[in-house]
Amino acid sequence: MSTGIGEQAHSERAAIGPPQVFSRNLSLLAWQVLYEQRAFWRNRRRALASFAFPLMFLLIFGAITQGAKVKGDGNIAYINFYVPGIIAYAVMVIGFTNTAMSIALLRSEGVLKRMRTTPMPWALYLGGIVLSTVITIAVACVLLLAIGVIFYKASVNGAAVPGLIVTVAIGTVCFTSLGIAVSRFIPKPDSGMPVLMLIVLPLSFISNVFFPIYKPQALVEIGKFFPLRRVAEGIGPAFKQTQGSGFVGHDLVTLAIWAAVGCWLMVRTMRMLSAKD
Amino acid sequence: MQPAIEVNDLRKSYGETEALRGVSFEVAPGEVFCMLGPNGAGKTTCTEILEGHRLASSGTVRVLGHDPARNDRGMRERIGVVLQSCGIQEDLTVDELIEMYGRYYTRSRPAQELIELVELDAKRDARAGSLSGGQRRRLDLALALVGDPDLLFLDEPTTGFDPHARRQAWSTIRSLCSLGKTVFLTTHFMDEAQHLADRVAVMAAGRIVASGPPQELGGREELPTEIRFALPEGVEPADLPSLPAGAEVAGDREGVLVRTSEGMQATHALTGWALERGLELRGFSVAQPTLEDVYLSLTAGDGPAPDSTHLEALR
Repeated sequence: MSTGIGEQAHSERAAIGPPQVFSRNLSLLAWQVLYEQRAFWRNRRRALASFAFPLMFLLIFGAITQGAKVKGDGNIAYINFYVPGIIAYAVMVIGFTNTAMSIALLRSEGVLKRMRTTPMPWALYLGGIVLSTVITIAVACVLLLAIGVIFYKASVNGAAVPGLIVTVAIGTVCFTSLGIAVSRFIPKPDSGMPVLMLIVLPLSFISNVFFPIYKPQALVEIGKFFPLRRVAEGIGPAFKQTQGSGFVGHDLVTLAIWAAVGCWLMVRTMRMLSAKD
Repeated sequence: MQPAIEVNDLRKSYGETEALRGVSFEVAPGEVFCMLGPNGAGKTTCTEILEGHRLASSGTVRVLGHDPARNDRGMRERIGVVLQSCGIQEDLTVDELIEMYGRYYTRSRPAQELIELVELDAKRDARAGSLSGGQRRRLDLALALVGDPDLLFLDEPTTGFDPHARRQAWSTIRSLCSLGKTVFLTTHFMDEAQHLADRVAVMAAGRIVASGPPQELGGREELPTEIRFALPEGVEPADLPSLPAGAEVAGDREGVLVRTSEGMQATHALTGWALERGLELRGFSVAQPTLEDVYLSLTAGDGPAPDSTHLEALR
C-alpha cells in the first residue's frame, strides 16, 4: 500500500522537464540569496565585524585628517585617497574574511552536511552565499562612498566611475573566491579569525589603504604583488580629476590573474567540501 | 514490490580498519527497521553510505532504487534525514527554516502541519540558535519531513533526550509509520528498538550478528524464564518443592534464581508451596529474558558496552 503512494509521488516528482528545472533553479538561487541576506544582517556580530568596521574607520580617519593632503599622490585631499582605500578594505573584509569564516563555520557545524541530504544542488547553495556577499559588498561600497562625499567632501569624478565599478567587481570575485578557497584550512572556526587577521591586517598596512606608503621598497613591492593595493589603486581615478573612464590597466590585469587563481582554488575547495571518502 | 533499501555484502575500510565487514539486509516499504549496536559497531558508517555521504569500499547498495553514491537529486527528493548532530542556520527562525528547506523539494509539506507535528508552535518565530537541545532535535525532525519523504533516516534520534522527550519523540515516530513511511533507525537503546521497530538488526564489529522482530531476536522466545525471590530465614534452596523437568536452581537463600522453560508451572509450584507453608517469598518476580540480555550476549566482547545507565532503566 505504501509503495503505491511512494511510486505515485515519484512519478509526480520526476515529471519536471529541463526548462522547468532551469527556472526552478533560478528561483531557488534567488530565494537562497534572500535567506543568506536575512541571516547576515540579523547576526550582529558578523555584520559588525565585516560591515561596520570599514564604516567606523572611514568616519574616524575622515574626521582626524580633515584638510590634510597626500603629497606624493598629486597633492590630493587625504579623503580622496582614503575613500578608495577603505572601499578596497571593505571588499577584502566582506569578500575574503567574512566568507572564509562563514564557510568554515557552516562546515564545522555540519550545515553543509545537512545541505547535502537535501535536493538543493550544491553549486546553487554556494552560489547563493556568493551572490549574497556581492550584495553586501555593493551596499558597503555605496555607503562608504556616500559617507565620504556627504561628510568629508570627497570629490567623485563621474567619468571614472565605470573604472571603479569594474575594479570592485573583479576585486569581489577575487577576494570571495579566495575566501572560499582558504576556508578548507580552517577546521575550527575559533582558530580561524586570528589567522585571517594575521593575513589581512599586515596586508592592509602595506597596501596604500590607510595611508600611502613609499618605502621600504621591499614592502611596497610585496604590497603591489597582492590584490588589495590593486583594488585601491584601481578605484583611485574615480576620486581624482583625471581624464578617461578610469580603467587602470596594470591593476586590472593583476586582479584578473588573482581572480582566475582564486576561482581555480575555490572550485577545488568546493569539490573537497562535497567529496565523499 | 521493490525494497526501500537493499544492501548486499557491503564493506567499508579505512586503511587497515574494517568498519563494515560484509553487511546485507533489506528494508521493505512501510517498515520500521532498526539497526542496534554499541558505539563503534559500524551503524553510522552504514547509515552514511545509505545517505550518500560516504562511498562503500565494495558491495551494492540501493536506496529507493537509486545508487546513493551517485547522490542524484531524484533520490534526495524522496529521503529525509535526521543526522546525529548537525548544524543549522542559527540566525533564521523556525518558520523561516521550514520554509527555506521546503523550497528545496518539488513537493513539500505545509509548515503549519510540521510545526504542529513536532510541537514547536510556541517557538515558530524564535531563531534556531535560541532553541534548547530538545527543541533543536524536534526542528531537525521537522526539516527531515519537510519534503514529504518516502524514506526517513533517523540516526540515534533520541540521544540526549530526557525520558519525557523520548516518549514524545517515539509517539511522533510511530505516527509517521502510520503514514506509511519507511523508517531506517539506528540506536543503542534497547527499549527504543523494542518500542519502535518492526525488525531489528543487531550490529557488532561491522557485522550483523542477528536480525528479526524484537520479540524473536536471538531466539529470545526460546530462552528460559527467570524466577527470582528470597527465602525467609531457616528455609534453604534445598527445601524447595519439585519443579518442572529441566528447571535449574541457583543462588542462595537471599537471592534464589530459577531458570525454566516451563515458567507458568514452576511459578504455580513455588507460590503454592509457599502459601501452604505460610512463607513469604520476598521480591518474587517472573521475567522473560529482556532484549538487553539477548543483545549483551550477542555483542559480548565487541567494543564498549552500551550506556549502562540506560540499561538500568529497563530493569
